Amino acid sequence: MSNEAKIQEILKRRGLDVSDVTDFADEVVPEPSPRFTKLINIYYMMKNTIDMEYPYWYNRVWWENDGDITEIRRAKAEAAALSHMTPTILPGELLFGNKTRNFRGAFCFPWVDASFFNAAAEAMMAGVDAPPMAAADAVSVVGAGGGNVTKDFGNVVSIAQKFGLRREEVPCLVKVAKYWDNGSVERVSARLAEARPDYQKWAGYRNSVLVMFDSWAIPQGREVINYYVPLEYGFDKIIELCDEKIAETLGEAGDDGILGMSRGYYYMACKTIAQGVSKWIENYARRAEYLAAHETDEVQKKEYLDIAAVAHHIAHKQPETFRQALNLTLMCHYGVVNEDPHSGQSIGRLGQILYPWYEKDIADGTTTDEEVIELLELYRIKITAIECFASSGVTGGVLSGNTFNNLSLGGLGYDGLTAVNPLEYLIVEAGMRGKSTQPTLSLLYDEKTPESFLLKVAQCIKLGLGYPAIMNNQGGMNYMLRHYQPEGMTIYDARAWAPGGCLESSPGCFQPLHYNGKTYMIPGGAGPTAGTGIHFTGMPKLLELVLSNGFDRRTGIQVFEPHNRKLDTYEGLLDVYYNVYLQELLEVSNRMNNLQMDTHRKICPTVWASLLKADCFANGQNQSHLGARYNGTINFESCGTINLINSLASIKKNVYDDKKYTLEEMKDAMWNNFGFKTAFETGVFSPDRREATELAPKYEKIFNDCVNAPKYGNADDYVDSILVDYEDRMLPKMLALRSYMGKQYYMCQISVSTHGPQGAITLASADGRLCGTTYADASMSPAPTTDKNGIYALFTSATCYDHAMCQNSQMNVKIHPSAIKGTQGTHKLLDVYRAYMRKGGFHIQFNVTSSKTLREAQAKPDDYRDLMVRVAGFTQYWCEIGKPIQDEVIFRTEYDS
Amino acid sequence: MKHCECANFLHLDCEKGMCALSKMIVPIDGEGSDACPRFEEGFMCQFCKHFSDADKYGIGSCKGYDKENWAYAQCGAFSCEKFERK
Repeated sequence: MSNEAKIQEILKRRGLDVSDVTDFADEVVPEPSPRFTKLINIYYMMKNTIDMEYPYWYNRVWWENDGDITEIRRAKAEAAALSHMTPTILPGELLFGNKTRNFRGAFCFPWVDASFFNAAAEAMMAGVDAPPMAAADAVSVVGAGGGNVTKDFGNVVSIAQKFGLRREEVPCLVKVAKYWDNGSVERVSARLAEARPDYQKWAGYRNSVLVMFDSWAIPQGREVINYYVPLEYGFDKIIELCDEKIAETLGEAGDDGILGMSRGYYYMACKTIAQGVSKWIENYARRAEYLAAHETDEVQKKEYLDIAAVAHHIAHKQPETFRQALNLTLMCHYGVVNEDPHSGQSIGRLGQILYPWYEKDIADGTTTDEEVIELLELYRIKITAIECFASSGVTGGVLSGNTFNNLSLGGLGYDGLTAVNPLEYLIVEAGMRGKSTQPTLSLLYDEKTPESFLLKVAQCIKLGLGYPAIMNNQGGMNYMLRHYQPEGMTIYDARAWAPGGCLESSPGCFQPLHYNGKTYMIPGGAGPTAGTGIHFTGMPKLLELVLSNGFDRRTGIQVFEPHNRKLDTYEGLLDVYYNVYLQELLEVSNRMNNLQMDTHRKICPTVWASLLKADCFANGQNQSHLGARYNGTINFESCGTINLINSLASIKKNVYDDKKYTLEEMKDAMWNNFGFKTAFETGVFSPDRREATELAPKYEKIFNDCVNAPKYGNADDYVDSILVDYEDRMLPKMLALRSYMGKQYYMCQISVSTHGPQGAITLASADGRLCGTTYADASMSPAPTTDKNGIYALFTSATCYDHAMCQNSQMNVKIHPSAIKGTQGTHKLLDVYRAYMRKGGFHIQFNVTSSKTLREAQAKPDDYRDLMVRVAGFTQYWCEIGKPIQDEVIFRTEYDS
Repeated sequence: MKHCECANFLHLDCEKGMCALSKMIVPIDGEGSDACPRFEEGFMCQFCKHFSDADKYGIGSCKGYDKENWAYAQCGAFSCEKFERK
């Protein structure tokens, strides 16, 4: 009997059903549908593009309605913008809809941030006035980097080194941006911030890049959308309900003298935006009919007419088929991500939301699983193509261009039983066949999750796509019950949680959907952005500033007032770190964030998202006005946790406990980069390349002692206890802060891609990390190659504290494909992630790839256009991420057995 | 006339589109960007009778709505309820 057969026999005796895992002999995944292949190949050729249709119409209608109530004015502007965009439908598509007229398009939001464009207006117009390029030059193609337009070419202008804008549209951009020069969210909030006496402190944090970016840069997202209202009612009924609500509330304050009157305005805004979205969808129907009328191929003509029929229906009514329901959620999603610069507008538990339509279609025999998989493959392309324009630093640098539209699987249903259903298997299957970066998939692991589904997920991970990530369902529920208890979180709502963005645990709820004569409790988001707050703060950088008496040696900025303490005890060091500098940073940054987000809700109240989000429609309040069910969603984002912990361990060990060096000697070694060249000098941003300078011999001993000091990830209590202490100190600080929503904060412990730029601004650290090199990724990943005792020791270190104290934790693991090869390997992978979940880890994700392959891809990106890697909470095309992060991913510890 | 000004042009990105008739990818600029004999005037402000007085940058006036406003020639107009060909 083969090993595989033995395993199956053993599993069978243990009552584990693996019969659903049809492709048990893994590495054999069916090809995607020809439609997917054709369309994804077009996608690979696409340049990131912004155009001006949406901004033009938004700007025009906004100013034409000067003087109107802001919520209503905003709704008119958004509705006009959506309903005037050119609908593009490509041959072979079954799902219609795009963010803009371009396949891979985005646009700018000058009403949020205009200074970026106004500062460049003169230069851009000079480019427009320049003589046209020769024809040959006009079609030159920008080199490597996937779809990123990193420099001007032909009649295309590079914006933010990522997006291309047609030269003939530049005057429109310049003209629109000018309107907002003085009135964008950025400018208004800056004026308010400057009125605060501590503004210069904030400027110091930002200019030193200790805090990575502003809240207005991406004011929405990192939340879970809610498709319930349009799926339950359809647009005609929504508009009818709005009319009823307007009649009921307009002019009535009820018992609320502050916001009671705004209910009527809210419903007027809802009606306007619902009409706008409906018209936008109708435009696709008209375009499909136009294309059908000009189409000579009968098959294609019918497909256009089918699209028209779907669009006509969902522009007005509750969907009647799975395809209609899926396309409606897609259009709703585009509508939300077009409201503001967005990242991390998570789809939520789509398989559970759309199951009623799937169930009926399958029962009726009107569709098949293969047809559903094809639709889901095409859906993946649509979500992959969602782009976000914020600014150069945010879109390209921090987020690596990903927009984090996360789709969750598993968890528990309203009844407390597993929520896994047959449609979720097909979603994973579509992700296996239709390889693409989005939506990334997240399994909400629960002990009640069927074994066959866990294995299916393991099979998918093994393909090296970077998804699904594994998240702890019970941990997420515990966090919900703990953090949202003051807002009345129930066990039922806790079961509806899902990650917003990559892994920002977001509150949800179940709502009763009536379809096909049945009532289904479907999950959806119940809170606003769960990622806006004090943005990525470099925790090792803060330690550097403690050691340098508040002075940033890189920029010459005195970021904090000098503490002038001797730091002659470890406790004294921690006291300055936590109670002086960090405390000040939290208080000042919170005020600035509050001003930014309050300005946003006053100038740009969310309209479409506020119609969708649970309880807003019932309450008659915008989600910015606490209309949603849960509102304590604002957080503090940390970066570089493990380098901080390792650095504290090194200082504690070498300076305070063993007294091998004085603190002055330690600082001298750090300021001199232990005698090595910096990352900027070597061009390598991971610590795998150290080039000595003439100073190296002087610092050789202290460098070795720093490198050999206790490191996180080895089940070593010396250092793990420092991590426990860190978490214990941080939680009460979060609970003491108050966001602009009047609610407490929490810790968000993810890095996205900020461990690259924040590593770049940090000098050498006491853990032996060199100047400019990336921090360890995530919050639970070890510093590369410092975990010597195997993966289970890493798990022990990571779970030394209760992960449910915080919104999340994050661990990325790189596994060589050979380590999990074959059926045994699939089970081994499941054993690994289950072990981490059972120990209480919140999140783990895997890169199943070899460093050798990644190095080859770095050298020849054109040969690896479709290679994807998991960075930190998201999957991205290798060729579209920056070199520092590429270096970091290559150098991560690789588990090979 | 250019492919990108044709009613059968499907937008892809800043440098290319697709012809809905031939299903071929066509460039916006340079060689191969000229329209074929099956060209049909597209839906753009520059082809609308309500659009006038464009300057050298293509910025002109839109008189199609109750409130006159500025507009730009390259703006798509398939979805504009006031679009009328010149």
